[in-house]
Amino acid sequence: MKKSHIALIVLIAVAIGAMVTAINDSSTYADFDEAFDNPGDEFHVVGVLNKDKSTIYEPEIDPDKFMFYMLDVNNEERKIVLHRSKPQDFDRSEQIVLIGKAYGEEFHATDILLKCPSKYTEGEIEQKAEAI
Amino acid sequence: MEYPGEHLFIGQLGNTFTIAAFAFSFLAAGAYFMAHRTKDESYLRIGRLGFIGHSIAVIGMVATLFVMIFNQYFEYHYVWQHSNTDMPMKYIFSCFWEGIEGSFLIWTFWHVILGFVLMLRAKTYEAASMAVVGAVQFFMLSMLLGVYVFDYKIGSNPFTMLLRQHPDFIGLPIFNNPDYTSAIDGRGLNPLLQNYWMVIHPPFVLFGYATALIPFALAIAGLLRKDYIGWVKPALPWTFFGIAILGIGVLMGGAWAYESLSFGGFWAWDPVENASLVPWLTMVGAGHLMLIQRKKGVSVFTLFFMVTVTFCLVQYASLLTKSGVLGETSVHSFTDLGMTGQLAISLLFFVGLSIYLIAINFKRFPVHDKEESITSREFWMFIASLVLLVSAFVISFSTSFPVINQLLGTELAIGSDRIEYYNRWQTPFAIITALLVAVGQFLKYTKTNMSAFWKNLAISGALSLIITVAFAVGMSITNPLYLLMLFSTALAATANLDYWARILKGKMKAAGASIAHIGFGLLLLGVLISTSQSEVISTNSSLYDVSMLGDDFDNNENILLMKDDTLIMGDYFVSYRGKRAEEGFIHYEVDYMTPNKEGQLQADFTLYPFIQLNPRMGNVAEPYTKHYWNKDVYTHITYAELETPNKETEAVEHSVSLGDTIFTKTSFLVLDSLDRNPKAKFGGLTDNDIAIGAMFTLYDVDTKAHQLEPLFVLRDRQYSFTVGDSISDLGIKITFDGIDPEAEKFKFRLTEKPPEFKDFIVMKAIVFPGINILWIGIIIMGLGTLFAVIQRIRMR
Repeated sequence: MKKSHIALIVLIAVAIGAMVTAINDSSTYADFDEAFDNPGDEFHVVGVLNKDKSTIYEPEIDPDKFMFYMLDVNNEERKIVLHRSKPQDFDRSEQIVLIGKAYGEEFHATDILLKCPSKYTEGEIEQKAEAI
Repeated sequence: MEYPGEHLFIGQLGNTFTIAAFAFSFLAAGAYFMAHRTKDESYLRIGRLGFIGHSIAVIGMVATLFVMIFNQYFEYHYVWQHSNTDMPMKYIFSCFWEGIEGSFLIWTFWHVILGFVLMLRAKTYEAASMAVVGAVQFFMLSMLLGVYVFDYKIGSNPFTMLLRQHPDFIGLPIFNNPDYTSAIDGRGLNPLLQNYWMVIHPPFVLFGYATALIPFALAIAGLLRKDYIGWVKPALPWTFFGIAILGIGVLMGGAWAYESLSFGGFWAWDPVENASLVPWLTMVGAGHLMLIQRKKGVSVFTLFFMVTVTFCLVQYASLLTKSGVLGETSVHSFTDLGMTGQLAISLLFFVGLSIYLIAINFKRFPVHDKEESITSREFWMFIASLVLLVSAFVISFSTSFPVINQLLGTELAIGSDRIEYYNRWQTPFAIITALLVAVGQFLKYTKTNMSAFWKNLAISGALSLIITVAFAVGMSITNPLYLLMLFSTALAATANLDYWARILKGKMKAAGASIAHIGFGLLLLGVLISTSQSEVISTNSSLYDVSMLGDDFDNNENILLMKDDTLIMGDYFVSYRGKRAEEGFIHYEVDYMTPNKEGQLQADFTLYPFIQLNPRMGNVAEPYTKHYWNKDVYTHITYAELETPNKETEAVEHSVSLGDTIFTKTSFLVLDSLDRNPKAKFGGLTDNDIAIGAMFTLYDVDTKAHQLEPLFVLRDRQYSFTVGDSISDLGIKITFDGIDPEAEKFKFRLTEKPPEFKDFIVMKAIVFPGINILWIGIIIMGLGTLFAVIQRIRMR
């Protein structure tokens, strides 16, 4: 057997090892039910902001804490504690992806991804300033 | 309705060019393939004519689209969607490639330029390789067709009229105006792309992507011609040219992210970034395998695999970014235009073609029986290429989670610490690669005299050890993996410098590889130092304890600065001085101060991070960075009130009984008792008035008690009025509106003025040490590689 073949086998083994750990280290998408059934495990939860309830951001007390209520895909509501500053465009968000863990009754998120409305709004056309 | 203002001709011209480019690419591919099969000169001439026709048509498309954007023909969907009259002209290029159609077009254009050079230089390889180029262009152009075949839309065309793309708009009032073209404005360019980096980065990366075509075309031609070695000679300089261009392009994206995105760094392992890095890694692998093969004629299969996989990874990158499959996982993917299927077919075609041709030729590949020595350069270069391949595979695998989820229905996602997730595997790969880069040139082909080898490495080894210790002590680096990477990258830079100085005697001839390797070592060194030693200095002094939630939550990364307050942050005293609104922007002024000899604070520098306001696409915070030779101080606004809150909140009505509590935002009030005879306390009441006072105790945030007594007065038993009470310090005003005798409830109205609005910002500041090593590294690497390419071409 050639040395290069041995190297090849070693590298394939490394690749497989990397694949296995990549999956082990990964988090998964889940709903609140699953996240709260497994407190302390990290999940990605997709949902929308509950616009009927107020959001709380008091940067003078803690600029890294922002609280709001989110409805997941099953319309289940949970209180969210985001350990970051309030995203600048938060109020416009259409969809939220949270990355975090359940603790008690709250979902504590370390990261947030927002999907803001697409550039294209139905039935709306801009006009040149001088034309209006 | 007739719209005389529409510029119909230019759209028809664009469409004609599109159809022509598509048809000519088919002609070129077919004729060149026939020329390869039959060796008939007339087919070759038709192929050339086809490709020339195709080239003219593609250049025509590019020119037409530019003219349309430049003249702001908003009656065209692409122009309308990606530009508007507000946009500065310098961003006209960004508009061109903001959309999928434009970026495909520019990519196609680069293929034309490169294909043309190939056509002129490929000689005996012209027919077979240009057939591949033609086939690739055929698929590329199909993405730009925008025609319907039955119900399936093939491609998306940048020359489509707005009203054709959006028939739903026809009812809008603006289209009742026959002269709507003089009134309509476009939607405008995404604010994130209104940046000078975005003028040059996308075409550069697409040029880098395009360079993968030529080695691929030559490799496929080699397989078609059953010439498994001959194609490598012309392919080699092309490959290294691609390595230089794509490498610079990828890092340019990093520079853009660092300068104008707010994720705090130059590399975030974002799927789109990964998609461009991965083909670069395999391209570097392919280039080095070519070097081995030119010298020793070995690793035929691995080379074919690496070259074809590079091209397919480029196609895959295009699928990832343009299909919308990345969706919410990436900040900068395109939105779905319904071309996923078509992109997948294109990718599968080239994957299938590569596998098929390699498989049917596999048995005929020349085999080397002689075993390479473990001390030979070719052995370790082969290993290095495989390491790059595995590294690329590992990155690809995790980046493909959204694709795997779609195909298998799994729900995989990368956790919150994506950078750590990728670095875990990529740091060891980087260490191994750097070590191999360091020793590679000192190894000789076939066999190396090992004692000379170790002697040669002694100088740079000692030097690297000193550098490692210096950095480790100076920056207190203790992580063994980082120390190892520090040493190996320093060795990569110094050993190649040493090789150039001592072995090549500092001559420029044949110095390209050494210079490129020095740059690569510096690049990785800069990556290591700037990322591992970067420090968030804007830690907040919050009392809220998050550590109980685990280490993940310990991200005190933002600091609140009240206007004109001074806080200590890292080595600096910082103060937020105010903001300045400019059309579409708010600039914030932040002073960074240090004490001078007399102990007084003096501004070292002032940073102006800003927020770009865009009502439709969202506001974008962009950083501002102070560059020093040895470090950068990066600052960006994470939160700011963009609007001053209303002066007074709306009055809230409360209906309460004795003993009840009313809550306000900052305090609470208890209705203690009723004052049935308040006349003694209040002047202006007559004997005929019936007055009742409501005795409240208000507790403020400090639980200090205040007394309040609003009055309700019935005068002459006919009309009522109220005498309100307030505490001006707290901005609370209460009026007694009436009595509901049956329910024994009392009605009050409460207004609350928020405390005096204080201007503040929440910001994040990071110090990146040694990031200039990274930028210098990439420039040296790019120049060195290009220099090596020129040397190669001259050698021919």
